[in-house]
Amino acid sequence: MSLSFKRVIDTVTLGSDRPIRRLLAYYIILGGVFAALLYFFPVVGQIASGERLEELTAAPQILQDGLTSGAFQSQAARLPSSVQLALTTTLCIVATLLLMLPVTWVYMSARRTKRHNQSVVETLIMLPIVVASIILIVRNSLALAFSLAGVVAAVRFRNTLRDTRDTVFIFLAIGIGFAAGVQAITVGAIASVIFNLVLLFLWRTDFGRNALVTTASAQQWAEPLKLLAEGDGHGNGNGNGKGNVAVHDHDIVLALSPQKVDALAARFDRVRRIAGRKKPRFNALLSFTTEEPAVVQPALEETLGRYTKRWMLDEVVSSEGKPTEVSYLVKLRKSMPGDALMAEIRSVVGSKLTACDIELSDALEEETEAETGKASG
Amino acid sequence: MTRRRFAVTALATCVAASACRQADAARTARADSSMLAQRETRLEQSLSQPDTAAKDSTTADRKAIARWIMPRNLDELSGIALTHDGRLLAHGDEKAQVSEIDYRRGVVTKQFVVGHPTVKADLEAITIAHGFVYLLASNGTLYEFQEGANGARVDYTTHDTRLGKECEFEGLAFDSTLNALLLACKHVGTKHLKDDLVIYRWKLEGGGDRLSRLTVPLKDIVGPIGEKHFHPSDITVDPFTGDYVLIAGIEKAMVEITPEGRVVFARKLPGDHDQPESVAITKDSILIIGDEAKRVPAVLTLYRWP
Repeated sequence: MSLSFKRVIDTVTLGSDRPIRRLLAYYIILGGVFAALLYFFPVVGQIASGERLEELTAAPQILQDGLTSGAFQSQAARLPSSVQLALTTTLCIVATLLLMLPVTWVYMSARRTKRHNQSVVETLIMLPIVVASIILIVRNSLALAFSLAGVVAAVRFRNTLRDTRDTVFIFLAIGIGFAAGVQAITVGAIASVIFNLVLLFLWRTDFGRNALVTTASAQQWAEPLKLLAEGDGHGNGNGNGKGNVAVHDHDIVLALSPQKVDALAARFDRVRRIAGRKKPRFNALLSFTTEEPAVVQPALEETLGRYTKRWMLDEVVSSEGKPTEVSYLVKLRKSMPGDALMAEIRSVVGSKLTACDIELSDALEEETEAETGKASG
Repeated sequence: MTRRRFAVTALATCVAASACRQADAARTARADSSMLAQRETRLEQSLSQPDTAAKDSTTADRKAIARWIMPRNLDELSGIALTHDGRLLAHGDEKAQVSEIDYRRGVVTKQFVVGHPTVKADLEAITIAHGFVYLLASNGTLYEFQEGANGARVDYTTHDTRLGKECEFEGLAFDSTLNALLLACKHVGTKHLKDDLVIYRWKLEGGGDRLSRLTVPLKDIVGPIGEKHFHPSDITVDPFTGDYVLIAGIEKAMVEITPEGRVVFARKLPGDHDQPESVAITKDSILIIGDEAKRVPAVLTLYRWP
């Protein structure tokens, strides 16, 4: 049953998983079913007549002709008032159930925290049924209303809800129950539709969020955003985990809405496209440690000048009691790959180095691997 | 069929169905208009032709010239009255909801309610005097208000006649000659008036002497109708003679008396009235009797008058 209903919803939404589309599809199907019932069984219209609310019907209203239509018999066969009351009550309660179901779906899914209170979900289903029944019983009787107030005061069912949003949902449940009770289910239906759509919109846009507080929708983006902040997201980094994207405050990034993430990613892509037109000036990082930097550096720089396209001193880190760390950015020649360069360097200043290493960029590594593969193949 | 095609086809079907429904609604409106015209023509013809079924001038053997079945919210049709310009107002038994009914064509043309919230009482009768509408509760309380527009809610003032212990009221009419409301008593509370038909007159202007009483010996009424008692359900004033016309729901009878208390006639109503509760006589010679729903729905039945 639920599967076939899901299939119907899938068909109407063209297979979309977007909650707003699915919600609208549900309401459209519900409205269609109600319209069909109204067409074939006009008595169903009683729950939307607002009869209890205003006790007025539309005018002009053409009366049946008792002389020619022989309608006495058909009118006499009208439902007894007790049956009609039972039918109206049943319809009102079923209507509240159908209108509250999507509200519970939205309550369970569109929320900031991961967990929801199951008892609230059950309350959202049951409360309007109870409220509608009470309103149907109380009708317009002041005495019954006072009696009800007395009974309620005696029961003492008050409870404090943790989340303000839960309270709003409870209010909606009461409102829909009232609407059904006064046979103005149209009001309840409109309230249900607009409430759900507004709530989904607020949830989707993270309306009113605190920029430094991680939101529910931001949480699902947490990992990609973390990568983005580190420079690996959306292809913005240079592949070595230390991207060229300067995002210093990860909390702010994690609080971004999906739309802002997309905008940021698009911006990074644009920058990458513009900046990436030229080939990178350097494609390898040469680093070594030595006890005699004053001797090693001139000899090494001469070697680099001879065997690389270009080079640049990147960093020199000197520490008391430790060997000096030196880094060079280099652009390798195709004729002189990294390993060959390392061999040449070791042959020139190898005795004075305590450690030496070369890190190749992704592109260069891929090229090297490909060439190695060809050679071995 | 792809989903998109399915959706487009469904949408087109809905649009086509909607267009058909609109055309259907227009056809229905035209049919309704034509039907109402036919109803009015039929009524005119009935009024113009002599009633061969009638043996005398009373309604006992009269054939109904129209009968309108009331909607559900008027099941407890309790009172009817004619405005100065000949429009018929009707009301229910428990709530002060007043409906205007085009009695010639059988259409409810207007409805409005009285009070914020709606007055709830054992309302028994209605009448109109000097542009004000009066509703009478069975305990003698009068609710006075002005006629409202369709869907309106009107304010009211109450008048306590202090006659609640004297009798249980069921009928109300306006005697323009005396400028007084006529309150017909269904169950008399005073012992020495048990054998009389009692009608109180409540003058619309005046001080302490605004209340008077008309009594008619029941023996003058119950004899011709073959009953032991006569419990008036409603009262109206014949616009042609100024006489008072009363009907009794329990006895299913009608009596006409002069303002002085002389019985003009007392007769049984035609037999197919289920629970007659209200009466009115129009200036175009139509007697309207309203029946509250009992075994069958509430109806308004129209007869030739006199």
